Formats: sequence, C-alpha cells, structure tokens
Amino acid sequence: MSLAIETRDLVKTYKSRSGPINVVSNLNLQVEPGEIFGFLGPNGAGKTTTIKILLGVIYQTTGDAYVLGKEAGDIAIHKQISYLPEKPYYYEHMTGLEIMQFYASLFGIHDLKKCKDLLERVNLGNDMNRPISQYSKGMQQRVGLAQSLLNDPKLLFLDEPTGGLDPIAHIEIRDLILQFRDEGKTVFISSHELSDVERICDRVAIINKGEVVAQGRLEELLIGGRIELTANGCPDDLATRLRDEDTLVSINHGRMIVDVPDTHNPDQIAKMVQAAGGEIVSIIPRRKRLEDLFLEAVTGDNIAKGRRLDRIVEKQGEEKN
Amino acid sequence: MGVILAIAKTTLGEAVRRRVLLVILLVGVLFLAIAPALEALSPRQELTVLRALTLGIIQLTSAVIAVVLTVYLIPNEIERRTIYTILSKPVRRWQFLIGKYLGAVGALGLMMLLMTTIMLLVFLIMRKVEGTAEIASLAKVPFAFFIQMSLLAAVSVFFSTFASPIVNFFLSGGVYLVGTVFDSFFDVLSKNSQLNPAVKGMASIVHVIVPNFQSFNVQNPAINQLQFIQSEGMFYLGLGVYAFTYISILLIAGIVVFEYREV
Repeated sequence: MSLAIETRDLVKTYKSRSGPINVVSNLNLQVEPGEIFGFLGPNGAGKTTTIKILLGVIYQTTGDAYVLGKEAGDIAIHKQISYLPEKPYYYEHMTGLEIMQFYASLFGIHDLKKCKDLLERVNLGNDMNRPISQYSKGMQQRVGLAQSLLNDPKLLFLDEPTGGLDPIAHIEIRDLILQFRDEGKTVFISSHELSDVERICDRVAIINKGEVVAQGRLEELLIGGRIELTANGCPDDLATRLRDEDTLVSINHGRMIVDVPDTHNPDQIAKMVQAAGGEIVSIIPRRKRLEDLFLEAVTGDNIAKGRRLDRIVEKQGEEKN
Repeated sequence: MGVILAIAKTTLGEAVRRRVLLVILLVGVLFLAIAPALEALSPRQELTVLRALTLGIIQLTSAVIAVVLTVYLIPNEIERRTIYTILSKPVRRWQFLIGKYLGAVGALGLMMLLMTTIMLLVFLIMRKVEGTAEIASLAKVPFAFFIQMSLLAAVSVFFSTFASPIVNFFLSGGVYLVGTVFDSFFDVLSKNSQLNPAVKGMASIVHVIVPNFQSFNVQNPAINQLQFIQSEGMFYLGLGVYAFTYISILLIAGIVVFEYREV
C-alpha cells in the first residue's frame, strides 16, 4: 500500500530583499495510511507552508510531494482529502447548516440529511440554524470538522485543531480525531498542543527551519527518561549557570525547577544548588515527554533557545515590577 | 457549473450584506430621492437636468460599488483563509475566480436594479415620465450602465489577482476614467499624423487596450428626446458583444495570473 503522504527533498524558497529564504529545506516525510501523524515545530518552522504545498495551493521550488500516491495539487485527490485551517473563518451571514450545504455543493453533494447528520455528530444539532457569527470558537471549530467530513475523506489535514479552545471543546475535538482513526482515515495534524499530540498521535515529525529534526513512532522517540529537581531559595544567577543544551531551567521567586535527561547525575546539580544557598524540595525521575523531545530537537537552534530564555527573563521582570 | 454557482451565490450573499457597499448604495438612493427637489435650480430645462442628474447618480454610485466590491474579492478570501478550505476541495482556480466574478456582478445587478426602480418610482410619482415608451427609454440607460459596470468589475477582478486592494482601487478607477473621459482624447492623439510616432503609438496602445467605457453612456436619447439611436437593436447587440469580448479576455488573463499565484 502506498504512503498517504510522502515528500522527497522538498524545498520551498521565497525571494526576499536580503536574498532567497528556504522556508522548507530538503523535507522528507512519510505518513502511513490509517495513522494519526503529528507535524510539530516552532512558529516559522515551515509547517503551514508544507501543508499548503501538500494541498496544492502553493508550489514547491524543488523536490517531490505526493498525497495518496499522486502528485500534490492533483485535483483528483481533492475528492479524497479534507483540510481544516488554523483559526478558520466562515461566511458569517450563513448558518452552520448553510455552511455545510455550501461546502457540500463544492463536492457536488446535495444531501441535506448528510449535512445535518454531520452537524449532529459534532454536537451542533441544536445550533445548526443559527448564524455562524453567533458561534463560539469551539463551535466554529466543530463546524470546520463537520465540513471536513463531507466527502468521507481518506486523509484529513488539521492545522491547530485544538488551538485556543476551552478544555471541554479540547477533549471533544480530540475524541473526534481518535474516531477518525478508528474509521480508517489518515489524520495529519499540525499542532503546538504537545500533550494532545502525545495522547493521540501514532507517529510524529518535528521540523525546525524547514528541516525534519526528528521523525518516528512516539514510543521509539520517547525512549529514556528525565529527572526533575525542584529547589527553593535559589539565586537568579544559578539558573544561568545550570542552563545548557540539555538542561532546562526555570526560576520564579527563588523556586527553581531543573529538568535534565536521566543520564545526568542529579547529585552534582543538588550540590551546586546547596552551595548557592538553595534548599532541595524534591528530585523526581519521570518518563520522557513529547515536550522534552521537542525542546531537545529544536534546542540547538539559537532562536528557539533565545525564545525560552526570553520568556523566563520577561516573567522575572514582570514580577519585579 | 454547480461549483461556480455555489461560489457565486455565496459571494452575492456576502456582498449584499457588506456595510460599506450598503452605505454607498444608501447615499446613491438618497440622492436619487432628493434629486427632484433640485429642479428649482434650472427651471427652463428642469426635465433634462433632472434626468441627467439621476442617471449620473446611478452611474457614479454603480462605478464606486463595482470597484469597492471587486477589489476585495480575492484578497479577502486569502486573508480570511477561506480560499484554502475552498481550493482544497475539488475546485479549480478558474472556477473560483469565475464564481467570485459572477457573484459580484449579481450583487451589482441587484443594487443597480434597486436604484433604477427608485429612480423610476420617483419619476412616476413626480409625473416626470409618461407612457411605457418613455419609461423603457429611461430604463435602457441603467441597463447599459450595468453592462459597463460588469466590464469595470472584470477589470478590477483581473487586477485583484495580483494587486493589493488599494493599488487595485486606483488602477481600476484610472482605467475607468481613461476609458470614459479620455477615450476620445487618446483616439484623436492616435490619429494625429503630426504627432511624434512614439507618442502616437502610445496613444494607440492605450486607445486599443483600455475598454471604451464611453460607448456605454447612452443617456443622451433619454435626456434629450430629439436624439435617438439608429438601429437600436444592433447597437445594443454590438455593445453586448464588445463587453462580452473584453470581459472574457480580462477574466482569462486573470485566470492565467491566478493559476500561478501562490495564495
């Protein structure tokens, strides 16, 4: 069986005044049919650009992109795929049902019952005749998912499907995505919600600056553990001294949390904390999370590291003010 | 065809609810309603002035609506990301563009129909028209304007495939101005044998490329009843063919640009 998605040395270059910029650089992805695939990366990593190439709305500079065995952009595969963009917008004068009918007509589907059934499926049965302008963000997202099921797609592209939703809407959308896999659909999710991705995805790819920096099954990628050390009364400069490529440190009012791979010796860190006047609260070993993998994968990048550092410094600054 | 109609219907539905267009339309309608009160300004030729004024209001309001409506057609879809959900369905770009254009022209037609109806009602109430022949003579003018505005909308849709709304507004407005006011000027320049060949060539190019919007200004027979159009049927048919040809060329050019555009 052919791959649901495959890219080979995919490159997308944009011209700028300072010269060409590679937004996607030699990207090689393989997505198996029937799996939920998480596509992760920091902002500006090239995720949305890659999805747009796979949908055929923009074109690659070099390389190949295949969707369901055909070249990306082939109109024939558009009958078998669906896309839910990040923060989708719908024509506000229309009701949920009218939106469904509009998108259905783009497939040549004129089946009112199907439109209603899909809205029922995403728990919008009682609201289908209300204008979309009166819908909450979660409801709009659910309309988006309902419209993406109109053609009973083999492959769904979901860009930040749970972004900005409240916890209940979050769980509802997550459960729906799991149902899609049970129905044999392939789901390609681009998301920053790492806990969601970790719960529902079979495989992930992490990209940074347009390149894949990690790709594989979650259980294989999350081998190894971490140690989390918490201490009180730590001076701010201790965080700077402890922080390195593998060591993630956050400090807030003298309470410091140090997160290191389990290959590090925690006693050594504990001694440094105590020597600086800090008091150890706990040393807890835990399994590796997707967040750890993500940070490891992008932490070599100065921009990503700088952002994390900035966030901590900003937080400290706000508290001092 | 179903895809084009679905996009056209949605575009029309959205256009007739756009506040900026409704405000422009409201201003036009208000002027149409109060126009008869201005007749005191020229008692001698009040009917001529009134007809010229009301038809002028319809033309100007329609032109502004046509441009404002179409300059945002494509950029809005990109900005709001609706274009991605549409183009990721089995919809070809040309279908999307034609659907958007037809929806815009439909909305424009409805708005112009409203203005024309109000104009005729005001004229009937004020007893400024008598008999169906006179009403028909007046109604033909907005009809010709509608074809003119459909052509202007095609110009604007073409520019919207690559230009920002502000740039497009001035480009389309400029083309309309040249094709309406300066068309005969460029025509004279292009035929002037004493002119520098380069200037003459440029004038010829402008005269040929820019649609002759002036030819749709058929209000004179309706304003001045001593004037008439010879072979009226053939004249309107010719206008229709001329507009259809230009609209087709502009839309095909727009489709070619849009096909390769990264959205």
